[in-house]
This record gives sequence, C-alpha cells and structure tokens, in this order.
Amino acid sequence: MIAPRYIPVVFKQVWRHRTRSMLTIAGVTVAMFLFIAVQALQKGVHDATSITAADQTLVVYRENRFCPATSRLPERYLERIVRVPGVAEVIPMKVVVNNCRAALDVITYRGVPAEDLTLLGRRWVVTAGSLENWKGRADAAIVGEHLAARRGFKVGESFDSSGVTVNIAAIIRSDEPQDQNVAYVHLPFLQQAAAGGGVGVVTQFSVKVADPTRLEQVGKAIDDEFRTESEPTTTRSEKAFVAQAGQDIVEIVGFTRLLGWGCLAAVLALVANAIVLSVQDRIKEHAVLQTLGFGSGLIARLIIAEGVVIGLIGGVLGAALAVGVVGYGRFSISAEGLSVNVSASPRVILTGLAIAAGVGILAGLAPAWQAGRREIAQCFRAV
Amino acid sequence: MALIECRSLTKAYKRGSGTITPLHELDLDVESGDFLALMGPSGSGKTTLLNLIAGIDRPTGGELCIDGADIATLSRSRLADWRSENIGYIFQLYNLVPVLTAYENVELPLLLHRMPGRERHERVRTALRLVGIADRHDHYPRQLSGGQEQRVAIARAIVTDPRIIVADEPTGDLDAESATAIMQLLTRLNRELNKTLIMVTHDAKCAGYARRALHLEKGRLVEPGRIGSEAEQEAAA
Repeated sequence: MIAPRYIPVVFKQVWRHRTRSMLTIAGVTVAMFLFIAVQALQKGVHDATSITAADQTLVVYRENRFCPATSRLPERYLERIVRVPGVAEVIPMKVVVNNCRAALDVITYRGVPAEDLTLLGRRWVVTAGSLENWKGRADAAIVGEHLAARRGFKVGESFDSSGVTVNIAAIIRSDEPQDQNVAYVHLPFLQQAAAGGGVGVVTQFSVKVADPTRLEQVGKAIDDEFRTESEPTTTRSEKAFVAQAGQDIVEIVGFTRLLGWGCLAAVLALVANAIVLSVQDRIKEHAVLQTLGFGSGLIARLIIAEGVVIGLIGGVLGAALAVGVVGYGRFSISAEGLSVNVSASPRVILTGLAIAAGVGILAGLAPAWQAGRREIAQCFRAV
Repeated sequence: MALIECRSLTKAYKRGSGTITPLHELDLDVESGDFLALMGPSGSGKTTLLNLIAGIDRPTGGELCIDGADIATLSRSRLADWRSENIGYIFQLYNLVPVLTAYENVELPLLLHRMPGRERHERVRTALRLVGIADRHDHYPRQLSGGQEQRVAIARAIVTDPRIIVADEPTGDLDAESATAIMQLLTRLNRELNKTLIMVTHDAKCAGYARRALHLEKGRLVEPGRIGSEAEQEAAA
C-alpha cells in the first residue's frame, strides 16, 4: 500500500495526538477483545456440533429425555446394542451433573466400566497421574485438563460434587471437548453414590460404528431394537446430540454473533472519528505535502495507513487480552452434562486481526478521499 | 528561450455572486538563474502568480510554460511529480511538520524519489550543512527559533535540487537579523548554485537582494525593471 520508507511518518502522525490515539486504541482493544471472545465461543459451538464425514460415534439416549437426570436406560441394553449390525464398540455411561442448566462452571461425572477405559484412553494423553491408579481405587476419577485447570485440581486430591466425593487419579488432555470438562469415574461407584441412580441403570450408551457412512442407519437400527420396550431410545450422532441437548447454548451463542458485529461497528466509528479529527487538524499540512510533490493518492494512502495502524495495534492488544483471558479461564459452557469449549484458536485470532486492519482501512477511506481531493491553494487560503 | 514564460496569464475565481480576478492577462519571462522579487500591495496577485508558477494552482486563462512544458495541461498526479522534481517552495510561516525532526522534515521530499537510504541521508546532511543548521538536525520545530525553522524550510526546498525556488515572504515572520541571514542564504543559492529564485516580498530591503523586482497592482505588472541589488552592494563592500 505504501513504501516502507513512509512507515515512520505514519507512526509519528498516529503518535501526534497521544491521548486521542491511546483512547481510540483502548476502545479498539476492548471491542476486538469482545469480538474475538465471541468468535472463540462461536468456534466452540461449531466444533462441538458440526457433523463431519469422519464422525463415527452415536449416543443412545432415553426417548424424549434431554437431561441426564431423566434419561434412565437399563444397563442390560448393552448386549443387544452390541449385536446390532455395524456396531463396533459400546460404552454404557452414567452421567451426573451438579447443574442441569447452562452454566460456565459445571462438574460432570461420567461413570464408565473399568474394562472400557482402554477404548476411551485411546484419545487421551495423560498429563499427570496414571490410568493404573484409577483402576486400583473405587472412588478414583480421571479429570479433564480444562476442569482441573478451572478448579485447580491436582492428582491425589479429593473433591465433592453432587454429593459424590472422588479422588483424582489422573489428569488427561483430549481433542474431544467433552473429555476436557468431565471426571470419569467407575460406573458401579457412581451408580451407588449418586442420588437417583441405582445399580443396572445408565444415562446413555456411547456407540462407535464400524463405517462412518452408515451412522444414520445404525442409529435407526438401535432405536428399532428398543421401540417396543418400556424404555425406548433415541439415537443420534454425538455432535447432533450435543447440538440438540445444548440447544439453549447454541441459540445464546448465535445471538452473540450480533454482539460481535456490534463491536466491529463500534471500532469502525471510533477509528473513523479519530482519523476525521486528525485529518481536519492537518488540512494545511496536507497542502504543504502536496506542494512538496506528494500526490493525492499517496496522501490518501498515508491517511488510510494511520487507520490501519490504529486498528492493528488495538486488534493485537485485544487479541492478546482475549487469548490471555480465555486461556487462563479455560471457559466452557455446559448444559445437560455437555460442554462447549471457548478457545481462541490461531485462526480466530488471525481473522480478528485481519478484520481490525480491514476496519482501519474502511475508517480511513472517507477522510483520505476528502484530503486527497482538496485543492492546495484553497487549503492555504482556508486556514 | 526563457525558463518561465507567462503569456496573458489569468486567474479568476468565483466568490459568492461575483468573480475575483487576482491575475489579469499577465506577460512575464524569467530566465534561468534569475532572482526575481515580486512586490505590490495585498491582493495585487503576487502570491497567486507565485502559486501558478509553483504548480499548486491552475490558471483560468493564458499560457504558462516552464522549461518548455505547459504545466496547466498536466494531470493532477503528473503535476505533483513535476513539482517534486522542479520546485522548492519556501513559506512565510515555514510550514514544517511539527512531529518530525529537522532531519526528517528535510528528508520528506526525498521520500518521493527512489534512492538508496545512504544517498538520501547524504543529501539531507548536505542540505542541512548548506543552510548552517546541521547541528540541529535532531531538533523538532518547536525547539528551533524562527530563523532556524526557516533555514530548515530552505534545506527542505533545496534538498531535491530543483531548478526553481519560490519563496512567499520568506522573512515576513523574522526579526531583522534573521531576515538578513536568510536573504544572504537565498542570494548564495542563486549565485553559487545557480537556482532560479522568485520571491514575494513587501520589504524593499529584501527586494534589494534580488537581481530585479517587479511590481503588481490589481493583477497586472506595473513597473518592470532592473534594480541595483543590495547583495551586490554588500559584495562590493
């Protein structure tokens, strides 16, 4: 846009009205922080609910039930689900949450049989403790990294939630958002310890299919198997299940999209105002530059560059703030025992910075065009 | 052929319901290496003529050829390029960019020209030395006296080595001592570097440094003529 030799001049002009520029940059920082935080939330929802061709996990839930507290299925269904054609693996799971509504800090227990740990463990990286510790102790828990960071949990410590006290045997990292925010415990332990439970009752079955392209057919076959039972089932892909169960979250996060665009509009108005004021202060100076031989286009580009500098500085600070807050807080929104992680990925950050620069360009366009079109002699006469 | 040729040069513009004609069918030749003082009362068209010659305003009638080129026909961007190569402009109120140091102000016109950084640095240094302000290169305009600011402005005007330097009352805001120093500097530029200088002034003493002075009234030349220059008298003394 402009040759590098002009960049010091641009920075000096931005620095000229320090207070005004700092206030504008502060405003851009806050707005871009909000924008990137909203984008991070959107991405979390997208990652948790977007079904891809590679998905091969089904969730079998009690028909017409949407909360772990009300979905009660007999554990004995396991043997019949395993026999459904196309099913590769089945894990019965009891889910207990300390809060069924949408919240930022929910503790979710997932009770699983010890023999199924190998299946789940394939997608985990143990960052502290060991899975062997878990197998050797009835009240042991394997805690997701986000939950451990959020609550400050360490291996060997005990914690209590929903009346269930567990001891932390390991902390794990996983690409699955649901693993990051739960505590895996022994199924029999949870069935006995949790209220409203009972031996032989589970909340859901997690089913892995052999062929991802047959996900829907396998799900339908499972539901057909139990259609005439007193506890019929509804089977969906894991991500469709998350989207359905976390519908409140999806709707709220969808609304925040408007907030994100509102932030951008605020940034545009802020930067445009700063540039307009700055250009109005320098009508004579621009006339002098034109007298020296600076063309209208070059002056316009220098003004636009000032907008880009303000936008980018604010964007970088806002992004850094967002990364810091989101990274430190390890936020996840949970509802019905399902979690949506808030994570400011590099792509979200880069998109935010590109938009900040784009807003800077937009904000500078009108004043740049005006400054470039002014007649030199008229500027000298007018001032 | 004269370096600057004005034929029936006219500038008129509308103000309200009337038309103002600050310059009316003016004929003028300026040879290369000349030092011309333009004098006359306020509103006589001196600055308008200076601005037309500098290419920062356009005539509404007549012809204005500089070094054989009719600058009135140049496009806006071509005219900007032409100014950067041919004109050095010295303002009455210096018009330095306040956020830039003396060095950076002088460097500004050179940014328009593609050249290695080292060459740009050398040319800025040379210009600052020539006007006697090299030791203040890192000072901002607010840290300089009026005379020093005008020296920086002169360095900025000559740093691209233009053929023509125009000055609009260059000593109008200076005390007598600084004014004399600035006029001596402009005289050196004319004599030693063979720059063609056109200067608007109200001050007869300043005009005395020029090779010739022209008087304008109501947009017309009224008293063309050659005068004995004060600089020559000083040189003789």
